[in-house]
Order: sequence, then C-alpha cells, then structure tokens
Amino acid sequence: MYLYLPVALTSINILIPIGLGLAVGLLSGLFGVGGGFLMTPLLIMFGIPSTVAAATDSNQIVAASTSGTYAHWKVGNVDFKMGLYLLIGGFVGGLGGVQAIKLLKAMGNADFVIKMTYVLMLGIVGTYMFFESLASMRKKKTETSKPAKESGLSKFLKSLPMQTHFEKSGVTHSALIPIIFGSFVGVLAAVMGVGGGFLMVPVMVYILRMPMHVVVGTSLFQILFNCIEVTFLQAYTNHSVDFVLAVLLLIGSTFGAQVGAVFGRKLKGEQLKIILAVIVLVVTVKIVYDLTASPSLLLSMGGGH
Amino acid sequence: MKVQGSKFKVFAYLLFAILLSAGTASATLTAKANHDRITVDFFYHGSTVSVRGVSDPGTDLIVKIASPEGEQTLGQKGKVGGLLWMNVGKLTFERVPSLYFIESTKNLTDILSEEEMNKYVLGYSALEKHAEVTPVSSPAEREKWFDEFVSFKTASKLYTASYGKITTTQEGGNQQYYILLDWPYQASPGEYTVSVYAVKNNKVVEQAETKVSVEQVGVVKSLATMAKGNAAVYGLISILAALGAGFGVGLVFRKGGGAH
Repeated sequence: MYLYLPVALTSINILIPIGLGLAVGLLSGLFGVGGGFLMTPLLIMFGIPSTVAAATDSNQIVAASTSGTYAHWKVGNVDFKMGLYLLIGGFVGGLGGVQAIKLLKAMGNADFVIKMTYVLMLGIVGTYMFFESLASMRKKKTETSKPAKESGLSKFLKSLPMQTHFEKSGVTHSALIPIIFGSFVGVLAAVMGVGGGFLMVPVMVYILRMPMHVVVGTSLFQILFNCIEVTFLQAYTNHSVDFVLAVLLLIGSTFGAQVGAVFGRKLKGEQLKIILAVIVLVVTVKIVYDLTASPSLLLSMGGGH
Repeated sequence: MKVQGSKFKVFAYLLFAILLSAGTASATLTAKANHDRITVDFFYHGSTVSVRGVSDPGTDLIVKIASPEGEQTLGQKGKVGGLLWMNVGKLTFERVPSLYFIESTKNLTDILSEEEMNKYVLGYSALEKHAEVTPVSSPAEREKWFDEFVSFKTASKLYTASYGKITTTQEGGNQQYYILLDWPYQASPGEYTVSVYAVKNNKVVEQAETKVSVEQVGVVKSLATMAKGNAAVYGLISILAALGAGFGVGLVFRKGGGAH
C-alpha cells in the first residue's frame, strides 16, 4: 500500500519505512545509537529528498530513543548524571560545529572535509572497537578479568579537577571529561550532519570506562534530547520534517527499540561491541564504495551534504 | 493613433478568421485533457493524463506539457584527486520547467525545422538553447551538463520525450488525436500547461492550449500548509507525537513482556 508524503512530496510503499524503522530501531535499542548514519542514506535511496530524510529521521529517533531509554531505565541502565554532562558538552559542541560548517562552506571544500571526516571517524572507531572487543573476548576465555593497567591517559584524566562519582556507571571522573568529549562529539556530529551515537558510544566505553549496558541506556537518553532539538530546528527553519513519514518510521522503530533492549540484555558487552563494530565497518566500506564508483547521475538534489 | 491601430488589428484578425473558415474546410485545432484537476490525497500514487482533440487532416501533432519555467540549483558531482566522487560545486539551471513532457506523432526533427523548434521550445535541444546554465566555461561543458540535467529529470520521471504515442483517426474530414500519458507522483502541486501544436511543412500552423492543475487536498493539504505556515506548532506536534509513541510502546511492552 502506498501513502503520499505531504512534505517530501512523494509517494512511498508503507512497508519500506515501517521495515526500515524496525531494523534501525532494533540497532538503537541494542547499541544505543540513533542510526541516522544508516537511516538517512537509505531514505534518500528510496526517493526521499535529502533534507527531508535527515530532518524526518531525527523526528523518528525521538520516538525510538524514548522507547529505548524507557526500556533501559526500567532495568536501571541509564546514568542520568553522566547523560546530563554529555548533553551540556554536546550542545556547546553542536554550536561550534555549525560555525565550522559555515567556515568550510565559505572555503568551498565543505563536502570533501565532511566526507573524509565521516570515513575516517567510522573507519577508526569501527576498527578499534572490533579489535579491542575481539581481544577482550579472547582474554575472558583464558583468564578471569584482571584490572586493566592504568594508561597515561587515564592517569591524566584522574588528575583533573572537579572529580565526581557517577553511581550508575560506577566510575569517578572530573565533570570536565564528559563535557569536553561530549562537545568533541557534538562538533563532529554537526559537521557530519548525524546524531553522533556511533561516536558517543565508544567515548563512553573507552574513555569514560562505563559498563556497556549503561552506555547503551545513557547514550539513548542523550540522543533523545539532541533529536528533540534538531527536529524542532529543522521543522522551524527548513520546513523539512515530514510528519507522515516520521509516523510510519516510528511505528517500526519504537517496537524495534524495545526488542533490541530485551535482546541486548541477553548478550555480553563484548558481543554487543563487536557487532556494532562490524556494522560501522560495513557502512564505512559502503561509503568508500560510493565515493569511488562512478555515479549514474552527476547532478543531485539540493547540493548539500 | 494607437486605438485606431488596435481596431485595425482586430479587424484583420476577424477577416483572417473568416477567410480561414470559409476558404478551407479545416477544423480548428482543439485540445482537451481528461481532467483539469488532479487531487493529491494520502493514497495518491500518480495519475494519468489524456489529451484529445481535433486537428486538420494531414497535420502532424506535438503535445507539450510543462510547468512554468523557473530556476533550479543542483549539486554537481566531480572527481577529486582523480579518485573520489563528491559534490564539487553547484550548477544553476534557469528558464527550465520542473516538468517537461514532449510527445509527437513523428520524430520531431523530421517534421519541424530547427528554427521552429527553438521558437516554441520544442525538444531537448531547443530547451537547452532556451535555458541558462551557470557556471560553465565552454559550450561543450554547457551541453554536457544540460544532458546531465535531462538525465537527472528523466530519472525522477519529470522529463520525457518520445514520439509515436499519439494516435490519430480520420473522421468526417477531420483528424482526431489522442494520447494517454502517465502522470508521475513526483510532479509537485501546481499548474501545468498542455500545449498542442499542429505542424505542416516543417512549420507550426496552429496551436491550442489547456491546463492541468495538481492540488493537494484534505489532510495532506493541511499538513503541508501547517509545515510551512505554522512551523513552530508543527515541530512541537511532531516531537510530542514521537514522545507519546515512544512511551506508549514502552508501556505496552512492559505489560505484554511481563518484565519489570
């Protein structure tokens, strides 16, 4: 059955957005990512204009991450305090990122920088996470967990002022750490035009040393607030949120997020990390392929990124 | 003087018309679309437009459907460093319709002189001459990018050009013509002009026109209007609906799943 989308000005088979929502919602509940890095290109592939695809996806993520946060909160896997600090950082970083894009556009090579940032970030994060979780899965088999040696980085982090304890995550950090790394992710996310969940998750796992299950819940919590802000700005300034498309997507994604959260509890932290790493790497390969293969059309809508 | 001039013109036209109708037994070219209004509701998935009418026997026909001309800016892909394809700039196409259908009884170049094609903007080569493309450095580049523009439009079903789809039947000294075209759902709401040209001896001898308008109706219209006209409320409703749906499904799962 086809439905007409009043803002995207196109008609779509409703099974496509519901199916996409289900798949991306599942990933969201499992890994604590919004899935924008998957959903937006898929929607464009199905004929949705790129601006509408990005804006509507953020509206849909509001629903998926509400559903996912709720599911994780019920089992005590959301660190609200950490989430709040990350949000503050993300907000500041987002403002900086928007300025960075303006500067890049004025310099005329925005698209190149954006694409390269995307590929490098996805590639590095995916590869690191893949090998790290592979190594820790092997280690678990031979010896029971030995406290990891303190690296130079973590020593430095411990020496910073404003140390505070995050109860849910069971870690102690300076309040500056989540704010600084949150803003770092915020800048990149704004430059790449994505929510940044796939960057935030590794930051929480490897730098903030939070347990994987709390990472997922907390990430969803902060994605929820980011996407509320983005949805409103997109609707208000660009008129690019398609309500009908968002509803179709969220029918799938809210259920997917619940299923993902339930399923995720049955998997170990390392297993979750390695699956996420593989997905990130597959997306990286796809982007690299798109960059090198000759496109069938040399012109594209909007001319944005 | 001016008044006299225009009076003379009217007189001349009248005389011309009388001469035409009296001299030959020709029929005036007519054009009629099956519906002048296509309504877009939730279940709209494109439509069909048929154009029919009467013409002089022995004339070839060209049917053009086009939106008003406008400007369109598109991202331009190019190779960077000889390896990577990405957006390298923007191209602006001016004086181009967003939708352009051209159908004729025979191949356009066989029935119409180039001058006439350019005069009435019939066919892609005429459209290319009519359009403006910026920035391009040479005529060759202009031609290349205009071809890309046509491919881009064709991919979204907004541009088509073909011949042989118009059927003609001779009836009582008149020629009846008929064509049925698929109307793509990608065509945005607005008014489209259907122009029919009767062609003889490489020249356009007669022209007729009708309109097709595409309009959003009902909830589709309200939502589209609200998204533009009442953006803040629209944004808030979108967010609240998403929050509500997220919580709603969360609650359903708590009950259904039995987990706590």
